[in-house]
Amino acid sequence: MNTKPTPLSRVADNFAVLARWLLGAAFLYLGLNKALHPVEFLKLIRQYDIVQDHLWLNSIAAALPWFEVFCGLLLLAGVAVRGTALMLILMLVPFTVLVFRRALAIKSAMAIAFCAVKFDCGCGNGEVYICHKLLENLWWLILAGWLLAGTGQKFCLRYSLMPSSTTNRSME
Amino acid sequence: MKDHLPESTAPDRRHSTGRLWLEVLIVALAGAVFAFAANGISPRGLMLARNYFPAQINRPATAPGTIAVLRDLTKASLPVLSPVELLAVRLKEQGMQLLDGGQVKQLFQDPQFKTGNIVFVDARDETHYHEGHIPGAYEFDPYYPEKYFTNVFPACQAAKQIVVYCNGGDCDDSESAALTLRDVGIPVSRLFIYGGGIPEWTTNGWPVEIGARNSGSLRRPNQ
Repeated sequence: MNTKPTPLSRVADNFAVLARWLLGAAFLYLGLNKALHPVEFLKLIRQYDIVQDHLWLNSIAAALPWFEVFCGLLLLAGVAVRGTALMLILMLVPFTVLVFRRALAIKSAMAIAFCAVKFDCGCGNGEVYICHKLLENLWWLILAGWLLAGTGQKFCLRYSLMPSSTTNRSME
Repeated sequence: MKDHLPESTAPDRRHSTGRLWLEVLIVALAGAVFAFAANGISPRGLMLARNYFPAQINRPATAPGTIAVLRDLTKASLPVLSPVELLAVRLKEQGMQLLDGGQVKQLFQDPQFKTGNIVFVDARDETHYHEGHIPGAYEFDPYYPEKYFTNVFPACQAAKQIVVYCNGGDCDDSESAALTLRDVGIPVSRLFIYGGGIPEWTTNGWPVEIGARNSGSLRRPNQ
């Protein structure tokens, strides 16, 4: 149980902490970009045609950016890391599907190559080429998945909200 | 990292998975509370109950952004109506009229503009308004109307013709602004939309005013 970490595992641990900070900083940045321009974000998500009712549309536009900011802060501080990582995966997967579908619609309308599709997906970093965006989301998903696997426990305020024998060594 | 994890039995794993999902639930609830509170506190926060798109909440086939995207990607003709044609159709449904650049310029030069019988309303956000607007136009961001009603409403009440514009093309903020004015009692027959908007105005080299309304700081865009 208390095996001494190998140099390789120490390096992996450090990279996992960097990954946590990177993912946290990215969501903080992307969330703030949207939260500070809520009307622009509202207009963008309106185009996805995901909800018909304006109350739902406004709620999504109002809450989602700040929710991302919240998740980013949790990861940076190292609070509820696995729960937050899973939360991000649960958000990223449907977002990616929606962006992908929208890009397909644009591709069909314009009869152009899929990777030539460029638009503002409401992701917080302006107009992007769809293939870049999909790769970026894949990258975030990999990082979130890595954190979900139990890495990045160093420098955490509270790695798990419900410490157990497997996680109470987080402050090592 | 594998050597850090203890060997676990199936019940342990189930328990661990249960705790993880509970943590996700806590994060989701706390995040939702944080998000709505932050939106409520933020001066730019959205009002949840307001319909920000009074004309029509969703127009997926002809959504403004879609057209912008398509236009940016290629100059090929679109398999849908042009943004201005779409706007004309929608305005007709609402009982409002569409003006072209020539008509707007005539109204701008009309002596009645000086007396307040003709009013221009800029439906873009504050930043864009201050970067340059049609001289004498009132600032009226339809997403934060309460901020501008004090100035705009009396002017529109007194006017016989109100020209509302935004960024032209696929921008429908002028339409939203006009509908907001209609909803507070401005007769729809007085409301006109300048479809070309500020891009056409500046492309034609007509003067724009920088900063606040009547700041006196005029320039021609190509200067």
